[in-house]
Amino acid sequence: MNAILAIAHKDLKLLLRDKTGFFFTFFFPIIIAVFFGSIFSDNGGKPVGLHVMIVDDDQSAASEAFIAQLEASDELSVQRSLKEEAVEQVRLGKEVAYIEIKKGFGDAQERMFWGDPPEIEIGIDPARRGTSGMLQGILMKYGVNAFQKRFSDPSLMRRSIQDSLESIQSGSTMDDSRRKHLTGFLTELNAYLDQPTPIVDGPVSGNSGFGGMNPLVVTARDVALEKRGPQSGYSISFPQGIMWGIIGCAASFGVSLVIERTRGTLMRLQTAPIDQLHILGGKALACFVTTCVLAAGTLGIAILFFGIRPNSFPLLSISIVSISFEFVGIMMLLSVLGRTERSAAGIGWAVLMMMSMIGGGMLPLFIMPEWMQTASNISPVKWAMIAMEGSIWRQFSLNELLVPWMILWGIGSVGFLSGVWMFRRSRSE
Amino acid sequence: MEILSMIALMNVTKSFGKTLAVDDLSLRIEPGEIFGLLGPNGAGKSTSINMTVGLLNPDKGRIAIGDGGSPHDPAIRKQLGIAPQALALYDELTAMENLRFFGKIQKMPSGMLKDRVPELLCKIGLWDRRNDRIKTYSGGMKRRLNLAVALIHRPRIVLLDEPTAGVDPQSRHALFESIGELRRDGVTVLLTTHYMEEAEKLSSRVGIMDKGRLLALGRVSDLIASHGGKSRLYAQRADREFFLETDDPMAELVGLQAGGTLLQFKVESPDLEHVFLNLTGRNLRD
Repeated sequence: MNAILAIAHKDLKLLLRDKTGFFFTFFFPIIIAVFFGSIFSDNGGKPVGLHVMIVDDDQSAASEAFIAQLEASDELSVQRSLKEEAVEQVRLGKEVAYIEIKKGFGDAQERMFWGDPPEIEIGIDPARRGTSGMLQGILMKYGVNAFQKRFSDPSLMRRSIQDSLESIQSGSTMDDSRRKHLTGFLTELNAYLDQPTPIVDGPVSGNSGFGGMNPLVVTARDVALEKRGPQSGYSISFPQGIMWGIIGCAASFGVSLVIERTRGTLMRLQTAPIDQLHILGGKALACFVTTCVLAAGTLGIAILFFGIRPNSFPLLSISIVSISFEFVGIMMLLSVLGRTERSAAGIGWAVLMMMSMIGGGMLPLFIMPEWMQTASNISPVKWAMIAMEGSIWRQFSLNELLVPWMILWGIGSVGFLSGVWMFRRSRSE
Repeated sequence: MEILSMIALMNVTKSFGKTLAVDDLSLRIEPGEIFGLLGPNGAGKSTSINMTVGLLNPDKGRIAIGDGGSPHDPAIRKQLGIAPQALALYDELTAMENLRFFGKIQKMPSGMLKDRVPELLCKIGLWDRRNDRIKTYSGGMKRRLNLAVALIHRPRIVLLDEPTAGVDPQSRHALFESIGELRRDGVTVLLTTHYMEEAEKLSSRVGIMDKGRLLALGRVSDLIASHGGKSRLYAQRADREFFLETDDPMAELVGLQAGGTLLQFKVESPDLEHVFLNLTGRNLRD
């Protein structure tokens, strides 16, 4: 055991002293993850250009005018949709929110002084509180604009007053005293509008006398995100970055055994009073520790600075250990395939690159065509990605993770044993 | 009473595909002996050494180390120290770290390592540079450290493969001193080299290999006598010059002197290089 620890300690020391190797092992995966995560993520909840679905239940001129305002706005990018589709898109996390203009929106805007105000519903994930608040503010702004426009247009105002007076006269639920006051007020207002001085455009002050009237009621409806979708682009890019780091580690440690052979240090180790399993065990331990530290460190950064919230830390820990074991086995096999540093590096990168390409290390698995997703079953990278994503955002249960874990341990064991067998065989030739 | 050999190769044969690398090699090296194994490139020296330390298994024959043990036995391997021709060191580690690491691999107790590492570093003149990474060392310094690593665990048998290749005269002298100390300490040394004067100076016996076979084996003086050929005598008298190959240059000189006064003369006795070239030929090897 001491020999294994000594070899592992030496290999880790060599890795830490190789500045280029250290950078590419520990920092490059983070750079990749942040770069691609920032490309594929939403824009961090900023209201500028917020993409939302819009549902028009009212189908009135007023609702159409309101939607036109939103379409023309800088703050929002809207897409018309039916309610069911909008809810589904938000639930799946493909859209930030939907806005539903409720039936009666136009009528409510016409009445102005009587009855319920125009109503809008927004559907958004409750976790996006900030975005929800900003969206309500934006909608209120355009609601007030419509209200203000009506006050600044005497003909529209007169029509509203007329409609309100008729509605008050015919309404049976209002008590007489209130009906009398409102009728008097609206008659006076109508007379005021007949005077030559127009109402000028400008902000509506809270002291204008209209502060008690509500131009718009915005209600928020919680639409919980479908839990099996990624939280953000970082949920995808960080596992991929970690995968690249682990692949780099496996390739580096694989080559390191060949370097030992070509430089003669392996001869010293092989003639020492230790078993060959100690030599390979030391390399394997160093590779295992490095991949675990790499994965844990990168995930730590993802959690601390990029809002990644793994579904389960214990399951994620087991996934990382399983992935590390798998790649230690692959490293062991790769290390005995090449006889020279160049051939070992070439074989290592070619094999690992191919595994990564078809296994979701470059393109996320879920955007691959179905046939490719099926073909990717042969790639060890796929099972590593599934195990990692399963415990980060796919919300796999323990039972669901057992299959990828077993495959990872299986591949690792086969790789390790094959590597040991070939290593022993090469010595006895 | 028969003296046990420290290294014994008995009728050892090894092939790589159709290439016969070592052909029925038998060799015994006695305790405390410094044995020089010579041969041109491709003669089978490295294969013989690799079999001796257990890195390769012979196709036929047997190898016994120490008290008749197998080189695959960890207890036997603990008695072996090897300094490969390639500088088998970790460039990114310091001399101290290299020695400590290989000491641990040799299962040396920490307490023993604590004393042994400084002792060796002083002996090879690297104490002042002990904390520098060895990638900053000269070739001679690395070669000295390469030998020190082989000696870290005080082995009874040391295999030195071209121990002075590519070093300056000072480092070569230091290495000779170290090997001389091994002789005084009773360590058995198997040495391969291309430098004939090195083999002549250090080895008590030499073996000359070519094409996998051991062509000659014995004390250097015996080999010179049997395979070195005649001495070469160059002499100059006032009237003429002489160039002779003779078994008895002194007798020839006396005869020449009798015929007239010699202005100058030079006798070139056969050495190990002559033995080597006479046995292995003068054709260039790949």
